[in-house]
Amino acid sequence: MASGANANMNAVRETMDVLLEISRLLNTGLDMESLSICVRLCEQGINPEALSLVIKELRKASDSLKASDNSTN
Amino acid sequence: DNSITELLGALCDCSIYGVSWKRRALGGLSKEGARKALKKRAYGALLSKFFQPGTCKGSASGPATTPPRNKVLMISFDLRVAGCREEAERLEELLGALPEGDAADPVLELLVHLAGSALPPPTSF
Repeated sequence: MASGANANMNAVRETMDVLLEISRLLNTGLDMESLSICVRLCEQGINPEALSLVIKELRKASDSLKASDNSTN
Repeated sequence: DNSITELLGALCDCSIYGVSWKRRALGGLSKEGARKALKKRAYGALLSKFFQPGTCKGSASGPATTPPRNKVLMISFDLRVAGCREEAERLEELLGALPEGDAADPVLELLVHLAGSALPPPTSF
């Protein structure tokens, strides 16, 4: 039973590693944490195209926050 | 911790990681305030797509839609044309390493939409 769960965990980890490397090759800018959140959101049925818009929007917002952070330095 | 609201909140937290809040709090914008503003933008983006025609779950997987694996192969082809043969081969290899079936398709679709959206890594001199 436990070995079955372990095998499943390993399969999930391997799939995540593959997805992360694909993500890097495609230059998406997602780190492992963001990618795993996105995977779970996709599992919840969120439209991938809509999710990509969310990520781009969040990037714009955080870039302007970080830019103003730098300008005050 | 798998609800959509919690996951979107976590995504917002990821995007503001590294921002200095001590100095910012003096200017009036707290971490909680920024988090709230980011969530508002995230939901705005999500809902703007949600209510557009042709974005419902059924039409996204319709026969006229190119399967995400094929889209990745098209990117791989573009990489080859651009002279990035090693990257193209690795991409195809990784695609083949994904489990059979369409469980990974929504994530691949997301990655295709985000392809090239990150800034290129800084060049070192």
